[in-house]
Amino acid sequence: MKTGAATSRMQLVQSMGDGITPGAKPALPLIVFDKVALDFGARRVINALSFEMKRGEFVCVVGPSGCGKTTLLRLLTGLVKPSGGEVRRDGHPVAGPARDVAIVFQDYAKALLPWRTVAGNVSLALEAARIPKSERPARIAALLQKVGLAAHADKFPTQLSGGMQQRLQIARCLAQEPALLLMDEPFGALDAMTRQSLQDEMLQLVREAGTTVLFITHDLEEAIYLGDTVLALRANPGEESSLARSFEVKLPRPRNQLTTREDAEFLRLRRLAFDYLQEHH
Amino acid sequence: MASPVLLQRWRGCVVPLLLLAAAEWCLHGVQSDALAPPTRVLASLWEGLRDGTLLGASAQTLLAAVGGLAIGGGLGLLMGLWLGLARHAAAAAALSVELLRPLPSMALAPIALLVFGFGYRLELFVVAFTCFFPMLLLTQAAVRSVEPRLLEVAQVLALSVGERAAKIVLPAALPRVFVAFRLSVGIALVVAVTTEIATNPQGLGYALIAAQQALAPERMLALLVWVGLLGWGLSAGLLALERRWFRQGAPA
Repeated sequence: MKTGAATSRMQLVQSMGDGITPGAKPALPLIVFDKVALDFGARRVINALSFEMKRGEFVCVVGPSGCGKTTLLRLLTGLVKPSGGEVRRDGHPVAGPARDVAIVFQDYAKALLPWRTVAGNVSLALEAARIPKSERPARIAALLQKVGLAAHADKFPTQLSGGMQQRLQIARCLAQEPALLLMDEPFGALDAMTRQSLQDEMLQLVREAGTTVLFITHDLEEAIYLGDTVLALRANPGEESSLARSFEVKLPRPRNQLTTREDAEFLRLRRLAFDYLQEHH
Repeated sequence: MASPVLLQRWRGCVVPLLLLAAAEWCLHGVQSDALAPPTRVLASLWEGLRDGTLLGASAQTLLAAVGGLAIGGGLGLLMGLWLGLARHAAAAAALSVELLRPLPSMALAPIALLVFGFGYRLELFVVAFTCFFPMLLLTQAAVRSVEPRLLEVAQVLALSVGERAAKIVLPAALPRVFVAFRLSVGIALVVAVTTEIATNPQGLGYALIAAQQALAPERMLALLVWVGLLGWGLSAGLLALERRWFRQGAPA
């Protein structure tokens, strides 16, 4: 499938939820990747990658290791500059980190400050955003309430389970009030039960806030379950586009761990994507 | 009957006590310029504590050790932070540090004596020079070993350089920096006493030499015991502080 076709297909994808899109110009996509290329030394990691993300859209990215999934996030934070093409946000090239772009890392244990309490870790994002000291406690309490950590505000991260640590990292990212939330295999290190409950809680939180999400995962089913759109990237693109294929997911929301995963459309997409990946990798 | 736990706790004392008893038995009534029985050493220690000479000398030595540590260690800490954060500065400074660091600090005492004369300044200089390098190198290493993910979090939050240093780098490096400080305290005490023995007529080191020259082995040994106790006390105190402050969430 050609890049241009993939882009136009995605433009057709309807914005999910109640149809209220945050921002004044709903027609303008929040993020545009325009023929983006990236070289690491002599190796071309990403080639001719073009796609758009609408406001409030939940885009999942799957692909084999080394296909530049994580690099995609870095391009969006501006920490990595493309070797060719352009990454645009609201029509302007991404220049550097912005306070309303948050990343949830997979290795939550390394991403939290071990010397700060749960509340202190959330506070870091508020301090970075110059929120006055007097306003912080109320905001921290509200955020911890949202992610179910209200009872653990005074604990240190090492005293929490893996799932709770990841909740804490999500709370810290929500404290940034992100317009764009980037998630790099956030639930990859968690057990199946914890992963499922975190998937649902996270979906609800980003729906409520109208956040646009780019979610990277190894897990095809997770991608279909969560996303409005699933992008499949290919490793070693060579002359081809890095974007191997994109799938629209027209499953009703709110999604449900049982009914959604038994839905005929879910199974069809799963089959389609699995077959596709098997053929190409 | 002693409980097994109590027995275990005091087991370490058995050998030293036996050795002390053996020394007492062997040295009792022996006239020597180098050795004295433990009871006489203890008596001399008590005497020194009572007439204030020991405490006065201790104050002089500790002042020089702590002062030198504050100057040398403080500079080493700042320099280490800087070199840890700035790759270019580290590359530029590497050769100088490697050339200066192996210098035995006591070799500088003769020059320092000519520059500063006898007294605190001489000793402060030698102690500061000695403490500077371990603080510098260990702080630099501590800053370098800060979890890269945390630095990335700081970047994503768009923290300023100052905020990054104060909120991420320093707290992350602090446990290791404190270890460097604890080691430097031990070094400072050793070097202060050594300087006093070799060059500077004050403090515990000089008292040791004076006792030697007065052919008073019990006084000499009493000073030795006292210096040992001081060093042990300082190190145990700092270790307790370290455990208390960094028990929580010290990065591995």
